[in-house]
Amino acid sequence: MELLSRHLVENEAFLKSTFIDCPDVIFRSFLIGKETKALLIYTEGLANIEEIDKNVLSPLMQQETEGIPDIQAVLEQKLSVSKVKPVTDTKQTVQEISSGNPVMLIDQQLPGITIGLAKWEKRAIEEPMAESVVRGPREGFTETISVNISLLRRKIKCPNLKMKSLVVGRYSQTQIVYMYIEGIVDQHLLDEVHNRLNRIDIDGVLESGYIEEFIEDYPYSPFPQILNTERPDVAASGLLEGRVVILVDGTPIVLIAPISLYSLFQASEDYYQRFMIGTLIRWLRYILLLIALVLPSTYVAILTYHQEMLPTTLLLSIAKSREQIPFPALIEAVIMEITFEAIREAGIRLPKQVGSAVSIVGALVIGQAAVSSGLVSAPMVMVVAITGVTSFAIPRYNASTAIRMLRFPMMAAAGTLGLLGIMLGILAIIVHLNTIRSFGVPYLSPMAPMKGAEMKDVLIRAPWWSLKKRPRLTGYSNTNRQPEGQKPNPLKGTE
Amino acid sequence: MNPDYGQANLRKIFFLFLIVFVTLLTGCWDRKEVNDLALIRGAGIDKKQNGKMELTVLLYIPKGGSSSEQGMEGPGGGGTMQTLIRSAQGNTIAEAMSILQEKLPRKIFWGHCEVFIFNEAIAKEGIAEDVDFFIRMPELRERSQLFISKERARKILSLLPPLERDLAEVVRELGEEKIGMTVTTKDFAEMLVSEAGDTAIPWIKILPPIEGQEEKRTIAYITGTAIFKRDKMVGKIDDSLTRGLLWLRDEVRYSTISVTPKGKKGFVSMKLLRANSKIVPKIRNGKWEVVLKAEADDDIMQNTTDIDVTNPKVVKALEQQLNSQLANRVNETLKEVQKDMKADVFGFADAFHREYPEVWKKEKHRWNEIFPNVKVTIASKIKIQRQGMQSGHPLISSEKGQAE
Repeated sequence: MELLSRHLVENEAFLKSTFIDCPDVIFRSFLIGKETKALLIYTEGLANIEEIDKNVLSPLMQQETEGIPDIQAVLEQKLSVSKVKPVTDTKQTVQEISSGNPVMLIDQQLPGITIGLAKWEKRAIEEPMAESVVRGPREGFTETISVNISLLRRKIKCPNLKMKSLVVGRYSQTQIVYMYIEGIVDQHLLDEVHNRLNRIDIDGVLESGYIEEFIEDYPYSPFPQILNTERPDVAASGLLEGRVVILVDGTPIVLIAPISLYSLFQASEDYYQRFMIGTLIRWLRYILLLIALVLPSTYVAILTYHQEMLPTTLLLSIAKSREQIPFPALIEAVIMEITFEAIREAGIRLPKQVGSAVSIVGALVIGQAAVSSGLVSAPMVMVVAITGVTSFAIPRYNASTAIRMLRFPMMAAAGTLGLLGIMLGILAIIVHLNTIRSFGVPYLSPMAPMKGAEMKDVLIRAPWWSLKKRPRLTGYSNTNRQPEGQKPNPLKGTE
Repeated sequence: MNPDYGQANLRKIFFLFLIVFVTLLTGCWDRKEVNDLALIRGAGIDKKQNGKMELTVLLYIPKGGSSSEQGMEGPGGGGTMQTLIRSAQGNTIAEAMSILQEKLPRKIFWGHCEVFIFNEAIAKEGIAEDVDFFIRMPELRERSQLFISKERARKILSLLPPLERDLAEVVRELGEEKIGMTVTTKDFAEMLVSEAGDTAIPWIKILPPIEGQEEKRTIAYITGTAIFKRDKMVGKIDDSLTRGLLWLRDEVRYSTISVTPKGKKGFVSMKLLRANSKIVPKIRNGKWEVVLKAEADDDIMQNTTDIDVTNPKVVKALEQQLNSQLANRVNETLKEVQKDMKADVFGFADAFHREYPEVWKKEKHRWNEIFPNVKVTIASKIKIQRQGMQSGHPLISSEKGQAE
């Protein structure tokens, strides 16, 4: 660690050579009083120049007193800025300048001073795009980590909300903050998160996806082992259950760990609407998950191996519609699924203005033209359409992508081994799900290992007054959420 | 990093590929596309002069394809036919089937064959050999129904029913109505291996077409039951005797009975809502007896007399009459089937076996002698539950009838 020199000239030379060919880094020399040389370094566009002029430069330059001013006196009397910090070593100085904080160095004085006047253009807080709700808060995280932290702090106004910060990315110098609630979170989990984050050594981190891939338990699994969200309320609920929230500067997506499979099928709105409806919708999602996974493969299997399983009338009408189709059912299914995925992908990537064109083409291509041209049969279009819609009903986008991806091997299994193949496929998926963990928490908990009491939040969405305990595996150091006996009752308090 | 680790990983991936490709190698060997199947809807078995049997199958022609509304034309005005008949001869069904396959460009698929029709002639010689094929062939449904026909099975299958898709559908639906007996291959096999081993299968014949209509524009319908001694047909009973048979077998589901109240003109018709019957066997002093315990609930559907059916006394009297009518029916059936044909299609043998296993073991061989002499008593409880929507005074004025 190299320390800053006492001589301003040396420091200036060093910094100028460091920031050579960086015209956005401005060096402003000025005098404090009559003869004390000082230097202000800031990055254009990242520093609030107005505030610097008003609260830093003008009071210092208008100083009347003679002699060498004491750094402490400068801080206490002249610098009307709330956030100041001393810097002593060169590396830190460079980093502060890069991240937008102006640094002031005074000749013959140590340490230097960072002035917290960083300010840049940022997006306002908007409604999250990927996780919309009918009932629930509309604010979403933004790209600025300090804003995101403040959003969470506004949800949990308690000194126990702690956070640890680190910088990852040799070049990007990205700030990463992990937050937790002291007293709820498990210390071992915290250590593990800390260790895994500190192991990362990469040139740049542009999105939390980078971090996710570095810290997850089973990198080869198609299933996400870390939840990502852009909703502060989802992150806050994770904190309250003893999970750790990881925020990465520059992205509105924050990470929550550890999770289990069932977290992927819980939408925040489940907890805001009436619990019966929440339960029903949750069940609907489980059914839709199954449909999204196995419907096309089951159709292929039954049509190529088990025709006797269909009701006669259905088989006859399918036979009728398939009469002119040149391809086997498997090929037909794969063609249609790929077409569907293409339309979905194009719909996301295309500029918004062209988006409607895709949906028209999609509707015509898979809706009508494909059938009337005799390339695919009408029932297959139905199957693909149903599968598509069901896969979108899974609240987490990354989970639904995993399911959609697994559909293809399932179809291949169905095409080669029929229903046996589907059973083998499902078996393989279940075995896999049983092996993986998220930060040590079994992925299928509380189903496997079984914990009956926690089914309240998996099989059903129990009313809030009955959700008395935190999930066992993340909140065991502080299990109680609320006292007993809060079920509402009109006679309460009268006796 | 440990160099072995990379090696092990490579091997893992290699084995994974191996497993995947092994499954793909087996791939599709028994794949059969719907387009390549000859979907058999029904099959008929006839006897030929040369001693061979003839297998006739009713095939569905999947036509109409992509553009939707073509199948509607139907066979009526010589439009597209949805069904096809093919026959082949052989010593066994299996043999006939492979000869039939030569005449069909698509693979015969039995999975949706729901109806089997045997001609009377072949039924008299025994059908167990054929049913063996139906049970043994994995493709075939055990729930397909069996029928015995008066006419040639081929002729029945070639009918073009005006209402349903094809004849197999007609006969199947009729069977599901359960007005007569319904016998699936599974039921038949169970009857064959039961203690008595005697069987019964519904009897169908062609409904004469409406005048002026084409001869083939009609259906076959169930009218009575063919009675089998083991697997050989020995006789036939008509519709009304079939009802007695159903009571004895606890298979009555639908029935409408009309009775004339004592000393009145006209009828009171009643619809059966629920019926349960039970055979209670008894051996008393070496005499074999059976009590038929029947319970039923009826609704009044029509009253063409002047009696007041809201009067509990009248209802009691009607119930009495229903009971005796039931007894008559059952007795008539017993007379024909038990005394004349000597076929135990009622399940008496099983009932005795269950109740008196020790005695049964000893006397089993004598069952053929015992059975015709088993005394049957009928203990029925029929209740009239409701009078229907018309609950006030009878619409028929009492002047027509006699005053009470």
